[in-house]
Amino acid sequence: MSSQSLIAIPRRYAKGLVDGWDQFWFTPESPHVLAIIRIATGLMLLYSHLVVASQLNAFLGDDAWINNRTIAAIHGGEYGPADAARSYLWHFSNPLLLWGHHLLTILVTACFAIGLLTRITAPLAWWLQIMLVHRMTGTLFGLDQITTMLAMYLMLSRCGSVYSIDAILRRFLLKEVASSKRLSWLLPSDEPSVANGIATRLIQIHLCVVYLFGGLWKARGTAWWDGTAIWFAISNAQYQSIDVTWLGRYPRVFSALAHLTVFWEVFYCALVWPKMTRPIVLGIAFMVHAGIALFLGMITFGTIMIVANAAFLAPAALVRPLLGRRDDTARQKSG
Amino acid sequence: MPDSSAPLTTKNLRRPEGDRAFDAAPSRPSGRRVKIAVSVVLLIHLWGVVGRPFEFATQGPFGSSPSASTFYSPVRAYSQFMYLDHGYAFFAPDPGPSHFIQAAITDDGGTRVEMKYPDLAEQRPRLLYHRHFMLAEFLNDVHYPPGPPPAEIASDASAAAEWMRTRKRFDDVRDSILHHLRVEYPRCDVAIRRVEHRQPGLPEFFEGKVGTRDERLLRVLFDTFDGSPSVDESQSLEVPRETVAPPDAEPAS
Repeated sequence: MSSQSLIAIPRRYAKGLVDGWDQFWFTPESPHVLAIIRIATGLMLLYSHLVVASQLNAFLGDDAWINNRTIAAIHGGEYGPADAARSYLWHFSNPLLLWGHHLLTILVTACFAIGLLTRITAPLAWWLQIMLVHRMTGTLFGLDQITTMLAMYLMLSRCGSVYSIDAILRRFLLKEVASSKRLSWLLPSDEPSVANGIATRLIQIHLCVVYLFGGLWKARGTAWWDGTAIWFAISNAQYQSIDVTWLGRYPRVFSALAHLTVFWEVFYCALVWPKMTRPIVLGIAFMVHAGIALFLGMITFGTIMIVANAAFLAPAALVRPLLGRRDDTARQKSG
Repeated sequence: MPDSSAPLTTKNLRRPEGDRAFDAAPSRPSGRRVKIAVSVVLLIHLWGVVGRPFEFATQGPFGSSPSASTFYSPVRAYSQFMYLDHGYAFFAPDPGPSHFIQAAITDDGGTRVEMKYPDLAEQRPRLLYHRHFMLAEFLNDVHYPPGPPPAEIASDASAAAEWMRTRKRFDDVRDSILHHLRVEYPRCDVAIRRVEHRQPGLPEFFEGKVGTRDERLLRVLFDTFDGSPSVDESQSLEVPRETVAPPDAEPAS
């Protein structure tokens, strides 16, 4: 091999790497899928906030299950190293203040869900959620992890530029938007943008991390290898919402489901990218999470995981059917 | 009419006339410097996303892998504040038993009511039930045996101090739960205990006729070093000693 090619090969490789990175992160994307994820995430957050509101004093304040003093001690380092999961809600004791804050949280989240002033309500909804989760330690689970993650990435994008009140407002205020930079920022166009691409990529990569470590953790157990894990999940009475313990009569079936779950989770991060394997991986994701939602009593968690997986759908896959119907209608009218 | 084979852009979508005048061109990636800056921010963020699950996955009897902890250390605070510090060990490594809190609430007249958290009959919708479920799991997770620590730990001042700190966390969480119940049920005596609800094994379920809600699957977790009842505790009136009622009486068949 000549010395020239010794330099040329790594250079070519490095250039390919930079080009690939550039294409991966900085290709403009349409906002349609993100808008659908926004609506679903916003509604899920809203539902979660309403449920907390139904017993607000049980979750926030000095008389909560985990009271302000204890939560501050847990995160503040009284029992071990302090962490950075801070929230001003630790200091809110007055019921009026707590209710005012929570009503604001509900209002902002509702606006985020319907896409009203999304440029402002999206980061605000995420911030209020962050403050809430850092206060509600001890009563949280996977649902909170995924909704907070989605809200965080959605606020980076133009997810409110379509399927939203903002989109309607933009149409009404077209001339004003054209002449005002601020208004143009507040009510962005639904053209493909790099921000949408970055938000989509971040959701996708984050999901890969979730599944990879979920799978690796399962691989540390024995029940996922001997196949009994599915049995021990469906026979847990406190999770159970629909009794499917009859599955226990079919060891080959439930053990196969256990093995499939582990392999699918571990290899999700690799197999979800190629177009050939993506539909299979997403199809399994749908079935696994629908199963969790229906049988293991976590309809909220199962649903939000399905929503998060939608980040791997191309905008065209969701929007083209709608366009097709519009075209058909237009054709019928004109014909 | 949009060409169905063309890549989707908003030009394919119905938009009001004139809207394209000022934003027809998709927003373009900015200059090289901006891209480099954004790339650095993205890498740091992804470091925060991966750091904690990696450190958590390397946990063993002596703590996490030193290299994983070192890797995570620079982004630890960022990851904690952004609520990225999760292990994602859903139903892992093995789907284990679940736990609930049983509370005995005794009023002035001596009438005792037993409550259970979580309880599907009391906490609806399901998400509210699940929040209480997580609370019971949290109380169980933070449980640490009461002091004094065994001699081999007591001889090491820092280990003994850590024992007491970790135990205090459990005491404070339990006391906070008790305080909440006392506010909910004023002028009542309140006592709680942790109960483990394990799943039946396959032969137990099919041949032994032990249903998933069978009372034989319940085990009271006593607040002692090894979880067995101490003499005092087994006699104490503060601890509800009634038979633990199964959540739903299920026929044995």
